[in-house]
Amino acid sequence: MGKKRLISGVVATAEAVRLADVDVITSFPIRPYTGIMSELARMVADGELDAEFIHADGEHAQLSIVYGASAAGARTFTGSSGVGVTYAMEVYSPISGARLPVHMAIADRTLDPPGDFGSEHTEAESCRDQCWIQGWAATPQEALDLTLLYYRIGEDPRVLLPQYACQDGYFVSHIAGEVEIPDEGQVKEFLPPYKNKHSLNISDPMIIGAQIEPEMGPPLQYQRYIAIQEARKVIAEAYKEFGEIFGRKYSPFVEEYMTDDAEVVIFIQGAHSVTARNVALKLRNHGEKVGVVQLRTLRPFPTEIVRDVLSRFKAVGAVDNSVNYGIAGDGGVLLSEARTALYGLGDKTKTVGFVGGLGGEVITMEEFYKMYAKLKEIAKTGKVERDSYWLPYEL
Amino acid sequence: MNLDVKKLFEEPSLIQITTWARGVIENKDARDVVFALANAGSKEGKYVQAWENYVDLPDRVGVPVRAYARISDEPLLSKYVYENEHPDVVVLTNEALVKGNDVLQGMKPGGVLIVNTKRDPEYILKFLKDTTYLGTIGCIDATEVAGHVQTLSGAEGATDASGIGVGVGAVLAGAVVKAKSIVKPENVLSSVQNEEACRYGYDEVRLVTVNTTFPEFKPAPKKPLGPEDLPFAGTVPSVDKENEKRITGNWRSERPVWSKERCTNCLLCWVNCPDSVVVYKTPEAADFTNLKYCKGCGICAEVCPTKAITMVPELDFED
Repeated sequence: MGKKRLISGVVATAEAVRLADVDVITSFPIRPYTGIMSELARMVADGELDAEFIHADGEHAQLSIVYGASAAGARTFTGSSGVGVTYAMEVYSPISGARLPVHMAIADRTLDPPGDFGSEHTEAESCRDQCWIQGWAATPQEALDLTLLYYRIGEDPRVLLPQYACQDGYFVSHIAGEVEIPDEGQVKEFLPPYKNKHSLNISDPMIIGAQIEPEMGPPLQYQRYIAIQEARKVIAEAYKEFGEIFGRKYSPFVEEYMTDDAEVVIFIQGAHSVTARNVALKLRNHGEKVGVVQLRTLRPFPTEIVRDVLSRFKAVGAVDNSVNYGIAGDGGVLLSEARTALYGLGDKTKTVGFVGGLGGEVITMEEFYKMYAKLKEIAKTGKVERDSYWLPYEL
Repeated sequence: MNLDVKKLFEEPSLIQITTWARGVIENKDARDVVFALANAGSKEGKYVQAWENYVDLPDRVGVPVRAYARISDEPLLSKYVYENEHPDVVVLTNEALVKGNDVLQGMKPGGVLIVNTKRDPEYILKFLKDTTYLGTIGCIDATEVAGHVQTLSGAEGATDASGIGVGVGAVLAGAVVKAKSIVKPENVLSSVQNEEACRYGYDEVRLVTVNTTFPEFKPAPKKPLGPEDLPFAGTVPSVDKENEKRITGNWRSERPVWSKERCTNCLLCWVNCPDSVVVYKTPEAADFTNLKYCKGCGICAEVCPTKAITMVPELDFED
């Protein structure tokens, strides 16, 4: 068994990268993810980790370097936050298209303007359709575990896709919590060495990312489409084996909290789900039948599981910690995708969106209380007056 | 629904015109043919469109490139396509294009082929593999009267500021309407800059009937590539192996011919050939037999100090 330490999400992530024995790391500073890189730089300098540590000249270069390194057969690590994540946008699709399991940590940060360093899921969610595996850690322990899980899932020969392991900036990245750090032996058992179907080789050269003609587009897109579908099976397997080896059991796609006889639930991902749970617990103590459904994997979206789970409740409030200006229903990605998953089941389960915690502001317990109150009202009357509410102004 | 899809989307009055040309040096001529005919059709109230092939590599000198027109009495159903799959008329701005290019592919029964050449139609026919559906062949020496206009104006979908039908294209457009009454000749004349050249094409094209009866036209439907037809993640094997999918010998209008007597074995041709066509086989001599990738650029002849290499029109060779 491993040892317990009081560490933040950035250190927990760096510990996981060390345990994964990565070969190539590329960095460029931006709050709040920077701590991961300073921790890794220290590890490399102190001889705790044998890796090439390359300080890039920007996020686009960071991603380009790990693209090449992964193609050469290296296990890679990179990361960013906020506008750094969007600056590298061009490189995400080439990496997944080349089927290279690059690993990227994102500690969320609001997009400019005017330079707010608080956490929002906007930047990471804007990359959600680039065929990368993506999900959120809600605690430092989850940040460590998600890193190991994503290397394992992404490098599986049935998947071979890159991964964004996301954590809420500040809340998860900077607040230290108790983390159990596994043994190297456990990690070795869980994470076999990286081996791709194709790797750059001087004695047998090949081209990755060559220009193609339009008729070659559909078959290549279809290869990727099959891979991310296949990932659903691999994710379930990896989480199961993770529980067996490390003793921490997670539900791979959605985590239910106090939902057994719940009438209304909050549907949420990331750090704010912790607050939602605490509010649900308080309300339970007063006899309110409320619960939380925490989305653990955003990509590939677990459509059927979300459908089966959410359709059990009278009303679902999707909490989006992101801005999606002008989106259908004026909520966010979680609202839209929950509604899509529920489509076709009739009007039994009412859905409403809550946009909150923008700019990195706390979603307070009082706000969750108001959300639950609204959900209970909807469950009682059966009427959804509006698609979504922006907090704190509209609720 | 249980409709006959093939019948449902038939376009009986649609005429497809395809021009083949050499990249960069003849792009404009290819465009001129299709735009002159489409503009003439427009004047007659027909439904028209004209465009250049988007997948060909138009910025490579000598590469086979295509331009297309569609002219119909009915509104065009199949507007957004890459190619004319079943041309009624095929025009070649360069005679050597009959080699290494299946220029008659998909041609409708009774189709027309117009070639810019000094040679006789009978000689050109020798190079065409399958002439089952070819109705008429016409030859005209357009270069003799008009010359090629080399400009990038009008490339990549932009407006052609140099004017439509200045050179070879005007001659060939005239020849097309002589061979097949797609649009009225006077409307083609008024659609080109060089009326005289256009009139010359109409008057002087030598037309020969190839077939008058045709077997039933049953084109096989195009099968899309499947995910198993491409390598994992679209990787391409080593560049130092021969790429069978990018054979460039059909870019060639002139062939380098080597004289053993004049050659001093200096190997400057071997050094300078951009496509590794000159193979250094023995210490005695370079070998010009690997013409599969020779684009006919003529650099070898240019650098040869003893004039041991001469460039000869490709169609002088019947192989």
